[in-house]
Amino acid sequence: MEILLQLLFSGIALGMIYAVIAFGYQLTFATSGTLNFGQGEALMLGALVGLSLVSTIHGGPYLNFWLMIPVVMVFGALQGAVVEWIGVRPAIKAKSEFGWIMSTIALAIIFKNVAENIWGKDDLTFPSPVSATPFHVFGANVQLMQVLVVIGAIAMMLAVELFNRKSIYGKAVVATSNDPDAAGLMGINTGMVITFSYALSSATAAFAGVLVAPLTLTGATMGTSLGLKAFAVAIIGGLTSGMGAVVGGLILGISETLTGFYVSTGYKEVPGLVLLLLVLAIKPAGLFGKAAIKKV
Amino acid sequence: MLSISNLHAAYGKVEVLHGISLEVPKGKVVTLIGSNGAGKTTTMRAISGMIKPVSGTVMLGGKDITGLDSHRISRAGLAHSPEGRRVFSTMSVNDNLMLGAFPRLTGSRPKGDVNADLEKAMELFPRLKERRTQLAGTLSGGEQQMLAMARAVMLNPDVILLDEPSMGLAPILVDEVFRIIRNLKERGVTMLLVEQFAAAALNVADHGYVLENGRIAVSGPAEKLRDDPAVKAAYLGG
Amino acid sequence: MNAKKLGLYVAGIALLALFPVVVRNPYYIHLAETILIYAILLFGLDIVVGYTGEVSLGHAGLFGIGSYTAGIFFFKLGVPYVMLVVGASVVVTAMFGAILALPALRVTGPYLAMVTLAFGTIIQILINEMTFLTEGPLGIKVPKPSLFGHKLNELEYFYFVAILMLFALVAVNRILRSHLGRAFQALRDSPVACDCMGVSVYRYKVYAFVISAALAGLAGSLYTYSEEYISPNTYNFELTILFLLAVIMGGRKTRSGPLLGALIVVTLPSLLSDISLFRGIATAAAILGVVITAILLVKRQKTWRDVIVPVTSVIAMAAFSYNLENIVDWRLTIFGFMTLFVVYYLQDGIVGYLRNVSGKLWPRRAEVNDIDGVSASEAWAPRSQAAQTSGKLLEASNILMQFGGLKALNAVDLHVARGAIHGLIGPNGSGKSTMMNVLTGIYQPTAGSVAFDARSIVGQTPSQIALAGIARTFQNVQLFGEMTATENVLVGLHHTFHSNLFDVVFNTRRYRDEERAAHQRAAGILQFVGLSDMAHEEARNLPYGKQRLLEIGRALGLDPKLLLLDEPAAGLTAPDIKVLIEIIRKIRDHGITIILIEHHMDVVMTISDLVTVLDFGQKIAEEKPALVQSDPKVIEAYLGSSVTDSAHAVQSVADAAPA
Repeated sequence: MEILLQLLFSGIALGMIYAVIAFGYQLTFATSGTLNFGQGEALMLGALVGLSLVSTIHGGPYLNFWLMIPVVMVFGALQGAVVEWIGVRPAIKAKSEFGWIMSTIALAIIFKNVAENIWGKDDLTFPSPVSATPFHVFGANVQLMQVLVVIGAIAMMLAVELFNRKSIYGKAVVATSNDPDAAGLMGINTGMVITFSYALSSATAAFAGVLVAPLTLTGATMGTSLGLKAFAVAIIGGLTSGMGAVVGGLILGISETLTGFYVSTGYKEVPGLVLLLLVLAIKPAGLFGKAAIKKV
Repeated sequence: MLSISNLHAAYGKVEVLHGISLEVPKGKVVTLIGSNGAGKTTTMRAISGMIKPVSGTVMLGGKDITGLDSHRISRAGLAHSPEGRRVFSTMSVNDNLMLGAFPRLTGSRPKGDVNADLEKAMELFPRLKERRTQLAGTLSGGEQQMLAMARAVMLNPDVILLDEPSMGLAPILVDEVFRIIRNLKERGVTMLLVEQFAAAALNVADHGYVLENGRIAVSGPAEKLRDDPAVKAAYLGG
Repeated sequence: MNAKKLGLYVAGIALLALFPVVVRNPYYIHLAETILIYAILLFGLDIVVGYTGEVSLGHAGLFGIGSYTAGIFFFKLGVPYVMLVVGASVVVTAMFGAILALPALRVTGPYLAMVTLAFGTIIQILINEMTFLTEGPLGIKVPKPSLFGHKLNELEYFYFVAILMLFALVAVNRILRSHLGRAFQALRDSPVACDCMGVSVYRYKVYAFVISAALAGLAGSLYTYSEEYISPNTYNFELTILFLLAVIMGGRKTRSGPLLGALIVVTLPSLLSDISLFRGIATAAAILGVVITAILLVKRQKTWRDVIVPVTSVIAMAAFSYNLENIVDWRLTIFGFMTLFVVYYLQDGIVGYLRNVSGKLWPRRAEVNDIDGVSASEAWAPRSQAAQTSGKLLEASNILMQFGGLKALNAVDLHVARGAIHGLIGPNGSGKSTMMNVLTGIYQPTAGSVAFDARSIVGQTPSQIALAGIARTFQNVQLFGEMTATENVLVGLHHTFHSNLFDVVFNTRRYRDEERAAHQRAAGILQFVGLSDMAHEEARNLPYGKQRLLEIGRALGLDPKLLLLDEPAAGLTAPDIKVLIEIIRKIRDHGITIILIEHHMDVVMTISDLVTVLDFGQKIAEEKPALVQSDPKVIEAYLGSSVTDSAHAVQSVADAAPA
């Protein structure tokens, strides 16, 4: 029983990370109908830049963990803007879906390779900002970092949601996702909104990166599978539903820790991917998404 | 106020407008009528920057706005209530109206008193008042049309383009739409109105242009056009 | 096959045969062998990427399945017959291709790309984890195979691969030139139109994936014997990207493109391992880039804005190359930049680019089909003359179509008499196009029944309805833009083909007869709609008026009993409209019933037998043309007389309308 509970707790922490990355997919999809295939790489870069700032590997530590977070998020925002500028904007202009899919993939490869060359190919340990000694809840071990992950993830999503609902700039973002042409008529620079959504999306991913890093190993290869599984979460929850991302994340996170324990750690990636295939084959709009009426 | 000369526009390789010229004087309502496919909506889109004209010029109050992005044209003071209403369906009526004033709230147009204008808009469009917090997507077609028009008014623009405000509406709502247009006219709002209901449009307008296959076929004072055979030709195919 | 092509084939075969004799170095022979193997896979990948237009990130996984099927058959089951092993790999991989295609039934674009990526990832995990079959990370050793009791040596195996590559080349070429290939292309250019031509998008997407996977399986099994050792790490994401890069860089929708692409991606790593060579190439590229840019800028063909990105990148690349110690570590970055470059500046790939350039220098004469005996002898005449000339062909009753709260169609009846031209008019948003979409199965009506030829068609798919005899055109032209006018009509004639894959690959009598007959009929149809002299022009390059006519021609290919024309005169000039009216009349005279949606009243009024008027989702009138024009309800719908004080104007307009 304790074991099950413990798996549940770590599943929830993992799931919230997926939810945050999936949330990032939703942000860009809403404003431009495009997805960054390098979302996982944005997370990885965030984690590694964070690592350089707080550890000794590049002559640091320069900052403590908490001060590092805003710096990493600014870095993530810049990185996202670059992706949008190089990879997405020309493709949107040319109305080429193939174009943005291929160019965000290409950029992802480049980022990963650059990271391999800067931080090496081996996984590194990220120093935990809080005590790693677990405490007990109903007999199960819980790490403080896991709690922080859950709180941080929720806070991040709430902050974005609040921004969208309350500020006029956030409303401009929502308007652009509703109808970009009409948003343009309102005087909203939709191109800028799309760039902003990429910046925000990558900043979110970078934030997720520094949250998850103390719990796992950090390295150039950490992003790819996280990005893919978060996409599964985004699909399961529906690309239009923030709540869906959280539920999808929890489903995946928990099923993954259970598989890892009861089947084999080698297979722990499989349930998410199978779930992705199933959802897309059966209900492509996701569990929480709305099906669009197709127009001819 | 708004002056268009020799405007050409195309979708891809297909040229749809072959040189349109028209004038919308300050404080007047001008209507552009013609059968479907004549190029009315294309003209509107080319004016407001939703598509880039191939050639020709669009001047707004003496300023050349030809080929600018639509957000710049909006900030220059031209509001466009587009065909099909295009309200922001997942947002509340209030939020939709606030977005109409986006350039004012973000400093690219004189701010004035946005909240007071919001209340004024509610007076002008009473149907919206009781639905302020409702999501725009849940409004009826007529209410959405009111919202689209109110949203354009919120810009405090120099000119409003109204594209087919009566499209797909039940007759009683069409009446209301035209009553509001008349109301706006009395307040001195400059408007360019595209309509498929020619008779009704010519009734409210000061001046009319009949568009045929991407060219202005006839133009003149609205009263004159009402009896013109060209109007009939544009509608019932002669 | 014309002489030029034959010459190319002979030269190619000679090159393959002589290569190992001239170049005796086993390293290079092995490299050439790998190129051939990759080329087989890339032919298949091109079917998915180039023709159906989907991004597959799962081909490394399929390649792995092929490799491991071969490995397992040999290592675990001890099957010694190479042809059996290769055959098994093809079949098993094709089956996985079908599984991979299942989600493709529902999704496209980025979703499908992610699905294929997930598939590839799962395959790699399974290969790693299912040690009882695959030996996991240890890998499997497989020696060169024996053929007819003779163990092949390196050289003989090279020829074995070369022969299979040629077989794959010919087979893929034949498939893509056949009705199957046309279906693949059509579903990319316009899925809706494809379904409405009776070519099921779902089915042909699955076919495309299965054929593509089969080729990946073939390549995979050959790779196993070629390397003599396989391990899970080979089949990773990097390989998938390499494959994609090869296809788009070489040139999509060609056979030479994948060959060239394979050559590039196989030799590139060894090229990159030599830093001084790379520096040379990068410098040359930078100089070339700067020179070309300078020329373009001087000639004012491009502005600074257009060229700044590519030029800075090539210069940066050159500068970068001198700062590197070890180029191998930066291999993926270089692949990434190459992909970006190809995606934005070389969209048609190298082969496509060369074709464009040579096409500008030496304009090619229109490509003539090598099907013999095709002559536009007789103009089109429908095969199935309508037997009865009376009664209703279509009875749509009480149709309700609801989108959320909006009733786009509210209890509409539409009964169409056999052999009639039935006009359907109404203001914008009145539900005309919705009606079209209900009749062709694109929308399922919320309530109501549709009987066509006395059989209910509600609930049938668009392609089933099309095959039952309802053809249509589209309000916004939905041609297969990258296909020629003839090919567009041939897609309409798809239903006349009964040949299967075997017939196509082995070019059997049946297939040749069907293809010839179809070409003849296509030529006849094009003559009928007056497009004979543009038969080999790509549809997207036709003038707008001709595109509309071509759509009608394509619909006629279906041999329909009922033809739905959705605003055929929209955007047409006056002379074009005259031609159109003539054509519509002739079609009716051939016994085909027509429903005509049109805003040009003169068109509707001159040729319709009966006109139905919709307004606000409801039928407000159904009368003979002359009566409709004077019906006060119709005038109100069009002119909005309900605005109280406009009665005078409306009355004057109504009075002026001809009786």
